[in-house]
Amino acid sequence: MEVLNRLREKFEITGDKVQRDDLALVETTGKDLIPVLVYLKTYEGFKTLVMISCVDWMEKGKFQLSYNLWNPEKKKNIIVKIFLDRENPVFQTIYKIWPQAEVYEREIHEMFGVNFEGNPTQDEELILEDWEEIPPMRRDFNTLRYSMEKFGEREPKSGIIIRKQISEQYDEWRRK
Amino acid sequence: MSKEEVRLFIGPQHPGVTGNMSVEVLLRGDTITWARTHIGYLHRGFEKLMERKIFIKSFPLVCRICVPEPDTNEENFARGLEELAGIEIPERAKWIRTLVLELSRLQMFIMWYGGIAGSMGLSTPVQWGIGDRDYILDLFEELTGGRIYHIYIMPGGVRKDLPEGFEERVLKVMDMVERRLPEYDEIIMENAVVQKRLKGLAKIPKEWVDEMGLTGPVARACGFPYDVRKDHPYEAYPHLDFDVITEDGCDAWSMLLVRRREIDLSIDLIRQIIEKMPRGEFLAPLPNVLYWKIPPGETYVKSESTRGEYGFYVVTDGSDKPRRVHVNGPSFVHGITLLERLLVGQNIADVAPIMVSLQTCPPEMER
Repeated sequence: MEVLNRLREKFEITGDKVQRDDLALVETTGKDLIPVLVYLKTYEGFKTLVMISCVDWMEKGKFQLSYNLWNPEKKKNIIVKIFLDRENPVFQTIYKIWPQAEVYEREIHEMFGVNFEGNPTQDEELILEDWEEIPPMRRDFNTLRYSMEKFGEREPKSGIIIRKQISEQYDEWRRK
Repeated sequence: MSKEEVRLFIGPQHPGVTGNMSVEVLLRGDTITWARTHIGYLHRGFEKLMERKIFIKSFPLVCRICVPEPDTNEENFARGLEELAGIEIPERAKWIRTLVLELSRLQMFIMWYGGIAGSMGLSTPVQWGIGDRDYILDLFEELTGGRIYHIYIMPGGVRKDLPEGFEERVLKVMDMVERRLPEYDEIIMENAVVQKRLKGLAKIPKEWVDEMGLTGPVARACGFPYDVRKDHPYEAYPHLDFDVITEDGCDAWSMLLVRRREIDLSIDLIRQIIEKMPRGEFLAPLPNVLYWKIPPGETYVKSESTRGEYGFYVVTDGSDKPRRVHVNGPSFVHGITLLERLLVGQNIADVAPIMVSLQTCPPEMER
């Protein structure tokens, strides 16, 4: 896609790839991300933000943020991605550019613990309730250990006993 | 919140809302002054679970992300993996997949057509919708073994070929559905209550469509011809002959008209698919799926569900499990960003019709 050449001239692009003829992947630095997004929106017709996603690269100590944009006229997608430090992941919000980014950032904040400075609702609970552990979509969150600590070990027979009790009660009720 | 305002929760258990989600509203008299969507009642951590499973084991899981229309999930995930692993699927498999997708779109639209009437208190079409949908579920049961969750589409193609005489039975059901539709139209479209309530309801400013990323029937009701089947033709859609349906009213009535015409389009597409379907193989040879490793890469695949653009963002790292799968349903934007803004200034009684018009599906918001 020609847009990649123009991006390479204007911004610091650390990697790019054409995945399909209607999908390109671009990697940039945190400093240049918002200029790239604004440039793509204003001059290249990538008017719509499709989604923001986060990937945990635990062994590299990085979080990857992917911003997926869509050009309705040329029918093309572009994914712009950056890497953040995993220890203290902070980034700027982009909800002033696209309003729906607010909810995507809120979800990433809850699930990965990335802090989006300036997002007004990111501290509100979206999906989880009273969550005190580390953010659950991080790869070092152990689901099995969490459920053992939270709900205890399951006794395999208890279900059968309850079912038996219910069926006995039902028989009793029918006899009346 | 002043003393003149009342705070009210609509849902999570409420006959008018679409699944388990709740809308918190502030009311001044009958008018909503502020709204906030609350989700989380259905969270089962699909995306997290998929990171711990080998690719083939995720297929019984992905179809559960959207209950009424599971095939979009399977098809998207399979297509993403095929793209990353470089697998070409046979021509017939593409056509069978398209048939399954269109059948599932049709059954969802029929159920929705009853549902929009139900949200305004017309309870007869709800029963009709669920009843007529069942004939299509019978077809699914014959084809895949399951009525709701099919687990039929898999990487490389589809699990089994069509049974003998299946095409005729599909056409028979299509004729039956087509015969029934005028009765629906009479009870819904020609109903004065429906017309009065839906015309002008949930008026969406046109500039919101590109700005917020609205897709599907919502965007098409605003006059934007956005349809993934045309914009990014996948599977057998490039070989099918159809036009994108648009209306220009930007309100709930236009969304109803778009979806009503989509039913006709789906029936037409299914007839075209059956007519043009080639013979041949239905499954490409795969490596041993229990030890299947996919090279590192990332991709975004999408398809047109009944609610709009449905996307899967798949990242692999060279191991036998996905690094990250992000399911992006259209309801995430429609049900939170758009709904919260649309409800302001509306009457409390119109919350259910607006939600059903946007066709919010909570399970796909909180995968």
